[in-house]
Amino acid sequence: MSEFLETTHDKFVFRVKTGLYYSRDDFWVEIQGDQAVMGVSDFLQKVRGDVAFLETMPMATEIRPGEEAGTIETIKATYGIIAPVTGKIIEINPEMESSPYLINQDPYGTGWIYRIQLHDRVRDQAELLNAESYMALMQEKIVQEMGNK
Amino acid sequence: MKKPTGKVVVIPCSGIGKVYGALARETAYELAERVRPDTILLTCLPLVVVGDEQAKQLVTENPVITIDGCPMKCAHKSVESHGIEVAQSYQSISFYVAHKDLKPEGVTELDETGRKLAAVAADELAAVVDSLAGKEPK
Amino acid sequence: MMDKALIKVGIVSCSGEELPEGTLSRLACRKVLDELKPGTTVTICLPLFIAGGEEERNFTAKFPTITVDGCKKRCAQRSTEALSGKPAKSIVITEIMHEKQITPPVRRRNLTEQDKIVVQVVAEELAKAVDDVLEGGE
Ligand code: SF4
Repeated sequence: MSEFLETTHDKFVFRVKTGLYYSRDDFWVEIQGDQAVMGVSDFLQKVRGDVAFLETMPMATEIRPGEEAGTIETIKATYGIIAPVTGKIIEINPEMESSPYLINQDPYGTGWIYRIQLHDRVRDQAELLNAESYMALMQEKIVQEMGNK
Repeated sequence: MKKPTGKVVVIPCSGIGKVYGALARETAYELAERVRPDTILLTCLPLVVVGDEQAKQLVTENPVITIDGCPMKCAHKSVESHGIEVAQSYQSISFYVAHKDLKPEGVTELDETGRKLAAVAADELAAVVDSLAGKEPK
Repeated sequence: MMDKALIKVGIVSCSGEELPEGTLSRLACRKVLDELKPGTTVTICLPLFIAGGEEERNFTAKFPTITVDGCKKRCAQRSTEALSGKPAKSIVITEIMHEKQITPPVRRRNLTEQDKIVVQVVAEELAKAVDDVLEGGE
């Protein structure tokens, strides 16, 4: 199976990485045992634009799904980093301070934001979408966001 | 590194899809028309890329500054891929990061704040231009 | 005849920095993309296209393009030909100016009200070209 599912709207290509989980707020989660790494989906980074500023929460902050865990600012919008899981921030991508644009350049790779110590992996995982389901949701969002642009 | 010639070529990306492309372009105009009109030479990025003889000569003989909009670095990459050395390379998004109070708007034509940011950025680049041109800073 | 519902047209502006016509090309293209033909046209950012932008390259491989150049050096047209084949139409601003006996702008930025009328004229020509391409004409 290929590493990405993708769809094209006009010239824009939107990718969903397989093997990851996704929140309905467009954040991805890679579950690694009782920890998870999270970041912004390709769709979200593309529609919001080039990241100029990123504000992260301090280490050891407890996060809960649906709550804001920092902010991302582009020229078009300021949007929250919406926590997709329950847990504690145990690592912040050190590159984010000087190079937040990695969120645009490599959203599923070097653009990761937090590593989280999970408190309730099973419940969180049940709430998240797999790549195929997120792809369907993303396609609806593309039409809403981009319309006939 | 090229020997100073008293002139510096500035090549902005002029990207047409983002405000930062317009900001890069406006910064280049600020440098060429207001900040260092005697030193700055402007040439079209696509002209360099299509291998125009005169443009090629200009960028081969004089130090080149590229001003891109964002980390895609289109101008920088294109100029370098034609075997031309880039003396300094900037990304206009970082002008905004350094001056958060000046938020530019407008994709083709910058708004007033964007123009102000371009002017501030061009002033900040003046020292680099002088040094590349081999001139005493003003 | 091409299926109207299926096709979109990529607009490639030279955006040349050196000449007022480069600015004119940029503004006219944006007008078509944002106001006159927003649903059927797509921005192809020339610097990104040249620098290897995947999205611009994929789009132009599948859909027709119209190039808009400031002068007869035709940088956008030549680059497009080299990267994705012959554009469906190629517009050169100086030729439109000549045909319509319009005086081109003399400023490269902060265009005057008169210049903006010229932008409108070029944009309308471009919009006609878009219709032609969509209808399968040449
Ligand atoms: S550097 Fe960025 S703003 Fe400039 S043309 Fe490339 S993508 Fe557009």
